[in-house]
Amino acid sequence: MADNDEKWGVAHVHASFNNTLITVTDQTGAETIAKSSGGAVVKQNRDEASPYAAMQMAETVAEEVLAAGIEGVHVRVRGPGGNLQKSPGPGAQATIRALARAGLEIGRIEDVTPIPHDGSRAPKGKSGY
Amino acid sequence: MRVAVTGTPGTGKTTATERVDADLDVVHLNEAVQEHGLYDDVDEDRDSVIVDLDAVREWLGDRDDVLVESHLAHHLDVDRVVVLRCHPETLETRLGERGDESEASIRENAESEALDVILSEAVDRHGVESVYEVDTTDRTPEEIADCIDAAVDGEREPSAGDVSFIEYL
Ligand SMILES: Nc1ncnc2c1ncn2[C@@H]1O[C@H](COP(=O)(O)OP(=O)(O)O)[C@@H](O)[C@H]1O
Ligand SMILES: [Mg+2]
Repeated sequence: MADNDEKWGVAHVHASFNNTLITVTDQTGAETIAKSSGGAVVKQNRDEASPYAAMQMAETVAEEVLAAGIEGVHVRVRGPGGNLQKSPGPGAQATIRALARAGLEIGRIEDVTPIPHDGSRAPKGKSGY
Repeated sequence: MRVAVTGTPGTGKTTATERVDADLDVVHLNEAVQEHGLYDDVDEDRDSVIVDLDAVREWLGDRDDVLVESHLAHHLDVDRVVVLRCHPETLETRLGERGDESEASIRENAESEALDVILSEAVDRHGVESVYEVDTTDRTPEEIADCIDAAVDGEREPSAGDVSFIEYL
């Protein structure tokens, strides 16, 4: 995994209860190379967070990214990944597998899900997942 | 009956639960956590104590007819969970006006709300049939209190995933 290589990007996967968003940027995050949301690939709102939607999106995004000369991505997953699924949800896992299957190298995978807090917070891991 | 009123900080839990009519003792968990030291670690980055959920469960014991209000309330054994929601931009305004959180904390809470973090945890632990999602954006605390009462009284159907704030990101 060549870290400072221009041929590497960052795949930001946002997995909410209802939807999944995939955005691939350059390593600085400044330039967006490709993006897709669950709403773009499925008809029913309730399917927008499904692993199926995530796979469809990942395939399209991977094609665009490869066409732009990017060979691999580091992955940053944010969000619980909804619709009764475990964290990081199958949405996120399906995304990563589909990106790999489409020919992208996968580098570091980080879970950067935000933690609600107000002077107190839940322990990690015990928070229902 | 034990009811949890949860939601991202700033969704208006404390404000609304002060106005409910239901015949339940309202427990403001944040106060209890501080008063009884129900935490076992500190998150310096977030200026927050890390709550000891077992200690909270023990402290609550088998008290019945309580309404527990906290963004951690859905981690407890309860019969129904009301999840208050608020558009992340409105949430930022509310937290800014409340004035007790840093910019970074406000931003992280708004992102949590945009990603449905607490709703997902509540559904994961309790199932959709026990979750009552209430959008508080553009509604008064009195209206929210009425929604909580309706959930407690069984005059409202369970619901989850009716709002979508992901475009905030
Ligand atoms: N329904 C509402 N509409 C507008 N502002 C509200 C509403 N409910 C609460 N607020 C304000 O938003 C802030 C956060 O409310 P609070 O009850 O402290 O939230 P929580 O207990 O969920 O963290 C407070 O400043 C409060 O006055
Ligand atoms: Mg409060």
